[in-house]
Amino acid sequence: MAGLLTLVSFLILGTLVQAQLNLPVPASITGMVLLLIFLLLYRRIPNSLTQITRVLSPLLPLFIIPISVGIVTQKQLLSEHGVALLIILAVSLIPGALVCAWIMTTKKGES
Amino acid sequence: MLDTLLHLPLFWAALTIGSFLLGQRLYAALGNSAFLPPILTGIVLVGLTLELSGISFATYMEGGQYLHLMLGPVVVMLAVPLYQFIHVMKKQWLRISLAVTLGSITTVGTAVFLAAWWIGDDAISITMATKSVTTPVAVTLSEQLGGIGALASAFVIITGVFGALIIPPLLNLTRLNQPHAMGLTLGVCAHAIGTSRAIELGEQQAAYSAMAMTLTATLHAVALPFIL
Repeated sequence: MAGLLTLVSFLILGTLVQAQLNLPVPASITGMVLLLIFLLLYRRIPNSLTQITRVLSPLLPLFIIPISVGIVTQKQLLSEHGVALLIILAVSLIPGALVCAWIMTTKKGES
Repeated sequence: MLDTLLHLPLFWAALTIGSFLLGQRLYAALGNSAFLPPILTGIVLVGLTLELSGISFATYMEGGQYLHLMLGPVVVMLAVPLYQFIHVMKKQWLRISLAVTLGSITTVGTAVFLAAWWIGDDAISITMATKSVTTPVAVTLSEQLGGIGALASAFVIITGVFGALIIPPLLNLTRLNQPHAMGLTLGVCAHAIGTSRAIELGEQQAAYSAMAMTLTATLHAVALPFIL
């Protein structure tokens, strides 16, 4: 439970920092960056955080389902642009994947 | 009686959990195929139930919000794997940073450009920008930036399924298929779903993919609000 308290505390901290500095970055992301900075300073992961990560990670997709179901409110948009959207999503993958893999492969001696 | 049940918030929370559970079973039964992630099954089952029962999304969310509430802490939690990967990537940090940055700029840039040119709706273009980020981050980010959260989730999942399908043969064909390149590319372009494909390909692919997916999500989450 200490791990969950840590996560919620950093979320609150992130919300406060985001509001105070008027950041365009979402509060939860601000909280994540703050937790990362904390871990870098602390130089290891507290046991309680390892535990909560193990518990929550497999459940992550579950927490995304409710907002994703909102797709049912976008029926008009999908019937109008569905095919175009699918083509764009598929086509845009190709140049990105090639650039990525090429950078990782070029000048091979280093890796 | 049925009507009372359909308006009970906890019924919808339970249905969501049940659908996800069924999705997980199906995923395991099909040998963890990257093409049917449990989240996809979950969304389709809940969506279909809403359509068939004629219940509105707002009514559903009265129950769904209990699960949705956990999204914030879970996004904060992503700092833990990120911290672990920062240690692993020390040796190759320049190459990895370049691949993650330029790879995501290319795929996101192409998608946003195509969307703006073909469809020309600002909310759709903004939502497109979050397509390569893991879903919890994409949804949060999209809503913050003026996109459509539900659409972001759909884009991300479709991108993941397509990426898991297209990327391995594409890299094999172009001979850019060394394990680390394959893993990193799957992580940058196809996030968690690509990573589940990478796990099937091998250990090195899996490690690079998980790292790339976390780095991509962080990079996009921090950079996109300033760019858009």
